[in-house]
Amino acid sequence: MGGAVTVLGVRHHGPGSARMVIRALDAVEPTAVLIEGPADATDVLALAVHEDMEPPVALLVYDPERPDNSAYYPFARFSPEWQALRWALKGGRLARFIDLPPSHRPALKRPEAGTGPAGTAPEPGAATEHRPDPLDALAAGAGYGDGEAWWSQLIEERRGGEDPVGLFDAIRHAMEAARTDLGPTPHDPSEPIREAFMRRSIRAAIREGHERIAVVCGAWHAPALTADALTRTTAKRDDEALRGLLRRKTEATWIPWTYERLSAYSGYGAGIASPGWYDHLWDHGDRRSERWMTRVARLMRREGLEASPASVIESVRLADSIAALRGRTLPTLHELEEATLSVLCHGNPLPMRVIERELIVGARLGKVPGDAPTVPLQRDLAALQKSLRLKVSASEMVLDLDLRKDFDLSRSRLLHRLAILGIHWGTLRDDQRQGASTFHEVWTLQWHPEFAVNIIEAARWGNTVAEAAGAYTADRARRAEDLEELTGLLEHVMLADVAGAVAALIAQIGSLSAVISDVRHVMVALPPLARIMRYGNVRGTEAGLVEPAVAGLLARVCAGLLPACGSLDDEAAGEMRNEIDSVHAALCTLDRADFLDPWTQHLRKLGDADIHGLIRGRAWRHLLDTGAAPAEDAAVRLSLALSRGGDPAKAAAWLEGFLGGSGMVLVHDARLLSVVDDWVCSLSRETFEQICPIARRTFATFENPERRQIGQRLARGSAGAPGAGGGATDDYEPARGALVEPVLRMILGELP
Amino acid sequence: MSKQATTGADSGSRLRDTAERQHAGELEALARVDDRARPARWRLSPWAVVTYLMGGKLKDGTVITPKYVGNQRLIEIAVATLATDRALLLLGVPGTAKSWVSEHLAAAISGDSTLMVQGTAGTPEEAIRYGWNYALLLAKGPSREALVSSPVMRGMTEGKIVRVEELTRVPSDVQDTLITILSEKTLPVPELNEEVRAVKGFNIIATANDRDKGVNELSSALKRRFNTVVLPVPETMEEEVGIVQRRVAQMGRALDLPGETPAVEEIRRVVTVFRELREGKTADGKSKLKQPSSTLSTAEAISVITNGIALATHFGDGKLKAGDVASGMIGAIVKDPVLDRVVMQEYLETVVKERDGWKDLYRACKEVL
Repeated sequence: MGGAVTVLGVRHHGPGSARMVIRALDAVEPTAVLIEGPADATDVLALAVHEDMEPPVALLVYDPERPDNSAYYPFARFSPEWQALRWALKGGRLARFIDLPPSHRPALKRPEAGTGPAGTAPEPGAATEHRPDPLDALAAGAGYGDGEAWWSQLIEERRGGEDPVGLFDAIRHAMEAARTDLGPTPHDPSEPIREAFMRRSIRAAIREGHERIAVVCGAWHAPALTADALTRTTAKRDDEALRGLLRRKTEATWIPWTYERLSAYSGYGAGIASPGWYDHLWDHGDRRSERWMTRVARLMRREGLEASPASVIESVRLADSIAALRGRTLPTLHELEEATLSVLCHGNPLPMRVIERELIVGARLGKVPGDAPTVPLQRDLAALQKSLRLKVSASEMVLDLDLRKDFDLSRSRLLHRLAILGIHWGTLRDDQRQGASTFHEVWTLQWHPEFAVNIIEAARWGNTVAEAAGAYTADRARRAEDLEELTGLLEHVMLADVAGAVAALIAQIGSLSAVISDVRHVMVALPPLARIMRYGNVRGTEAGLVEPAVAGLLARVCAGLLPACGSLDDEAAGEMRNEIDSVHAALCTLDRADFLDPWTQHLRKLGDADIHGLIRGRAWRHLLDTGAAPAEDAAVRLSLALSRGGDPAKAAAWLEGFLGGSGMVLVHDARLLSVVDDWVCSLSRETFEQICPIARRTFATFENPERRQIGQRLARGSAGAPGAGGGATDDYEPARGALVEPVLRMILGELP
Repeated sequence: MSKQATTGADSGSRLRDTAERQHAGELEALARVDDRARPARWRLSPWAVVTYLMGGKLKDGTVITPKYVGNQRLIEIAVATLATDRALLLLGVPGTAKSWVSEHLAAAISGDSTLMVQGTAGTPEEAIRYGWNYALLLAKGPSREALVSSPVMRGMTEGKIVRVEELTRVPSDVQDTLITILSEKTLPVPELNEEVRAVKGFNIIATANDRDKGVNELSSALKRRFNTVVLPVPETMEEEVGIVQRRVAQMGRALDLPGETPAVEEIRRVVTVFRELREGKTADGKSKLKQPSSTLSTAEAISVITNGIALATHFGDGKLKAGDVASGMIGAIVKDPVLDRVVMQEYLETVVKERDGWKDLYRACKEVL
């Protein structure tokens, strides 16, 4: 064996590890740098030093035949693997990934469910349920409470100074002891195979004649990859272990990533809690507390919060003093956060959320060069475009879809899904945006070149259009702050038929509606949901899921509507009436007693409450329309509201609420007309004269022909039975009929 | 007159003893083993102060009882604050042990928890600065002798921790007299043309309740001079039920309520309702809830239960039932007749109604609301 092998055991995404790795590489000057990462991605590694490459980025390895079968390997600029890769490529050394590709393993795991470079490794920082975490075990020996703190203090937040190679030796020895005590990782049965594969790759590099080889891998693996281990575990035994592995052809590319997706919150198995803090550590070796607190203060000022320089000084002092109390040489993020909360935020946790989002996690979005290989999402889209016979063209093209046909339905879904992802290839004609009831869609298609960029950006959400649209919607649902946005999104999702997203959206609607204090917002959200519930099934979507949400919203509307109507001025009452109307209309289209009954009960309460006349009048009108209250009751309320001696303005408002905007209804609804007519007829002369101006306010808003027709109906009605629905009278006068006969003859032409 | 004379019975029959007397043994033991650096005039090192509050076992085998049950990190921040000579503000709703913590901190750090100003709407400036002995003042004119020092002034001259309880209840102009004391560490006495300079070891621990009504919000100038530590409500359901149960039993004895020990089930339901509304979500974390304007502290849960027991004993069959706690509970929750009502109604309809075995509570609440 020729080459000298230096094993650098790191923690994935550890800035201190990254710094030490660079110093160790500078000291050892290896000719080959072998990195724990999927071996089948070696082709695209060279792009890591491309000038347009900007971390955070992720290496995406996928199966070209089944693009949803893939694995992501995120890198930040403070990831030791990333720094080692760049060190090698810049110095013209050999850089190679040596880990067993996930496609070679018996079962390919789902992305982010434990496949990152850290995910597959029994991550030193990540606790496993089955046995004590190796770091915790070591930390306990050193007298620390938890392994995370121990490792951070010892490695990640150390400011250097000593011999880097010696430090890595020490880490390896510690891990060796931990491995002996704890045994192999129970949750990763492929661990021995992976280590065998890595050893084989190291041997290959030695055979190629490299004198000095550096191996950068997760600390846990370090003891298994040393020169000792290479002789201890012979090449033959490793080959045997690797025999019979499935091989699938894979492709690899780079996609932009975000710090948020790198953080543990996003569900990334090997995520770190604080990418933004690590970024800060990477930038600033010294005076980092001062710089961090200054950044916090600047952020707070930008958000309009008070943060004086004096407070910055005090928070740094407090952080130092807490650190001293806990026996640390320097404050860690914990101490800095506590000091921020205590001094800068005066104990108020709200600003901490902004700090968490903007600084601790960070908002950095990576970039990849334009010449990176195509992403699977692009392939999926291309395949769909082909199978659905949708031509990509820069000129406009009109597409008329009949959703009753499966083929057209699939096309419609694709266009809606792309729209969700912000790729507006097709625009729906304006008059078609509303109402999921139609089976007819007219699209205008036009392809813009910038869509290519949008697709690459969307690639981080998934590898197929459907998957990406689903993940993106779920993310947007999580962030949405008002119900209108959510219901709008839901309508979109129903159209796009995004699997799984509907349930998440509805859950979010439920929890958001619970905390919204303005019942009007809830009322705005209800009609679109009811519409989906009523018509959603036309498209065969999961409309049944909407029902509990509608019921929940209705319960909240009924609880909060009466107090919300308490003190309204004319304008607000008008708006409220419109909301009540649309909720009422929505519930009527649903035509379900279990929804209508509580609603009409509530309308009855509204009708008799001491609130704005407009609302009361409207409530009675709806009660009359649905038949929930007998006409006599409505008639009593009508004369009560318009009785003499009351405030004329209030009476006018009531009548406006009761009849406003329904001239045509009066023409055709005999019941309503008779209620009004009976009331007018019952008035004495003086009363009528007093009421007349008030009544005019409402009747004057009807169109001229409407008024005329109402008058005609009443004139006829009073001759016959009151309220009889417009039957013709029997009186026929032949003499008068004969008068028009010549004219009719002229118009119709001479009859034979 | 510099020392406040404690008059009254001997320690045996005192209703309540100061923290430093009650735990004198523990404080001594800590001082014996404590070999870490102590800030000037501190009786113990910061580490030992934290141990005194959180409890533990010392090297020599002495067991220190925990005074504060909760997050150690909070106590560490509090002690670190006092060590940097910044003033400490403890915030929290009633029943979160603010005064308890401040008393024990003062006892551990200065060995004296008696330097205390109780904040009320009527707290005068003299309580924070100084007053005059008018007889002496008239007889001899302004002199050091005629000056009556406040606890704050004494703390400054003796280098001790001073406690200001319920700072937000103090009128704003009186609150602001603390600004000079905190930033300049001096207290001018213009009548005598001199000033009192604080010696090392002086500091202030203030407690306040920021969510109650009828409080005077601190001015930003004053707020800036404090480090704030928020003491949270009990973290887990079990913890809170335990606290309520213990306190109810104690109060029952004090009030000589004959009834039997209250059903844990009823306590658990009240605590559940309070916790859910306070946190704005159901205990299973599945659905969100609107929050009422009231604070719904543990202390209030305790009083709902004691009221319920009193009702059950004097007007019922002695057993605590849903009906006995319902009115007290609604009274505690619905503080704003319009907004809180909506909150409670929604809560009843969407949560209580659906929950298994809560039908009686639902009906009882509907009757009252």
